[in-house]
Amino acid sequence: MSKNDFFIGWSDDTPKADRRFFIGAGLGLLTATAALAGGVAFRQNRPGKGTWNQGDVREWRGTVTAEPYSMIRTADLDGRPRTALLSCLGKCGVSARIGALSGKSVIIKGSLIQRGTHAMIAVVDGMDWIREDPEPTSTNLTFPEIEPLGQVTLRGEILDTKCWFGAMRPSEGKVHKECASLCIRSGLPPAFYVTDRQSQKRLMIMTDHGLGHSKALLPFVADPVEITATAQKWGDLLLLDGPVSGIRRL
Amino acid sequence: MSHDYKAVQWTPFKKQFDRWMLAGIALYLISFVGVSAVMQPAGESFTPIQILIRAMGTLAFLLLTFILCIGPLARLTDRFKPFLYNRRHLGVATFLVALIHAGLVILWYHGFGDLNPLVSIFVSNPEYTSLNGFPFEVLGFVALIILFLMAATSHDFWNANLGPGLWKALHMGVYLAYGLLVAHVALGALQFEKDPLYVILLGTGAGTVCLLHITTAIGGVHKVNPASLNGWLKVADLSDMQDGRAKIIRPKQGEAIAVFRDGDKISAVSNVCRHQGGPLGEGKIVDGCITCPWHGFQYRMEDGCSPDPFTEKIATYATHIVHGIVYVDPAPNTPGTYQDPTVITHNNA
Repeated sequence: MSKNDFFIGWSDDTPKADRRFFIGAGLGLLTATAALAGGVAFRQNRPGKGTWNQGDVREWRGTVTAEPYSMIRTADLDGRPRTALLSCLGKCGVSARIGALSGKSVIIKGSLIQRGTHAMIAVVDGMDWIREDPEPTSTNLTFPEIEPLGQVTLRGEILDTKCWFGAMRPSEGKVHKECASLCIRSGLPPAFYVTDRQSQKRLMIMTDHGLGHSKALLPFVADPVEITATAQKWGDLLLLDGPVSGIRRL
Repeated sequence: MSHDYKAVQWTPFKKQFDRWMLAGIALYLISFVGVSAVMQPAGESFTPIQILIRAMGTLAFLLLTFILCIGPLARLTDRFKPFLYNRRHLGVATFLVALIHAGLVILWYHGFGDLNPLVSIFVSNPEYTSLNGFPFEVLGFVALIILFLMAATSHDFWNANLGPGLWKALHMGVYLAYGLLVAHVALGALQFEKDPLYVILLGTGAGTVCLLHITTAIGGVHKVNPASLNGWLKVADLSDMQDGRAKIIRPKQGEAIAVFRDGDKISAVSNVCRHQGGPLGEGKIVDGCITCPWHGFQYRMEDGCSPDPFTEKIATYATHIVHGIVYVDPAPNTPGTYQDPTVITHNNA
């Protein structure tokens, strides 16, 4: 009985018909694989701008605060007084590590995360990331008064600042929801952007009665929401101040 | 056929199959990463880890879709039997690709925080009661566990020690894993990536798997053969019995029966291979033995025993021929029982 036309897996002899078919199907599958991969990759949403060169660790001079979130007002970004948020190297804020230096002139050590005019400094690990500045710069780097701009109702998404500024690309939507939640619960400032994410120029840092948001905000992170709150200007920052009760899931 | 449980029983074809498989995986990753890296405007590139997460995730879905198509395709054409025989390596490769995807997701999205990354998967998104908001990562995680169990028990050692029934039931979990994976994609990536291509890919992939299984299931439904001569079941006219091949008979009760012709002899055995339940009646007589079309397990026609040194046994059945018509007694003999073949003579043909 010939077995030439019957495939037996353990046999060293593979029928010619099976070999021919396998090579033909294999070539077809490889071609389809390459085309499919290219197509799937090509049609992805743009991930957004933003950079973070972790290897470029510098010293930054300015006035630091722990409330509502850890941030520094510095002239080292472009020579003008600007605000940079502060984070650890991972997913956490550093408010608790500022301690008694809050409100003082300091020198901190970290790398810049930047997207447009938004800036964050990821400070280095260890105790020497911050020290009081013995010779404060003559530029006025005190935080200005908050200016109310009025109540607004906006539709959009709550996200975490660090990822959106450049730690991740992309950094929004459902696929990033759990990461954003983890960042915000760990003390990174939440921010709000309106629905048109591609043309968004300025993010609004979210606060609750002038303080950082609590974990009550977490269920709304990365979902389509409508929020009613007070818009505020704080130097070069835009704030959106209001309680969680002003947020409605769409 | 395996007796001493080598890690991999290599054949030239299996090596060739694995080379093609690895080439396909490499080609997909190179193409995906390359296009992702160059397609974005300056300053808007994906981070490398996120490109890999997407490349591995989409590849795992496509691989599993292809794997699930192989079974029904092999029922429709013998040319897919080589794919069927070698799909085990494809399954293990799929698990490894999915594992890399999951590992990178856990590291990137759930690491570096104040929560255990594995805990974060389950608690960072608490919207379990919402369809759109459902934490899709959990679905992928459960699918990965199923794929792990299947990959870990894919070797014949586990088939023999767990028993074919339990092993088969465990490996049918692939359909649950695939369903979870489809939901994982639909409730995750498709909520963010709105391009129709992704919906079409998911729908086409899942639809093809369903259609092929339904088609072969309908084609595989056979009428129960009625008792036709004193309780014996009619098999076929002798002239319709192809040499070296079988006719499959389905009695009202019990397993289907494969009735083989080997030259001038007719014998009947259980249609169910003891290895993975393959349809012996779709196999062939090779070197005097019934050979399963799935993995090449062999049984002697007359007693249903695998040749030495193998120990598998299947049930045998009595046959006879009256006026050129082959009949089989639906009452099975104990597996491994010798049963005289019916010899074709001038008198009964």
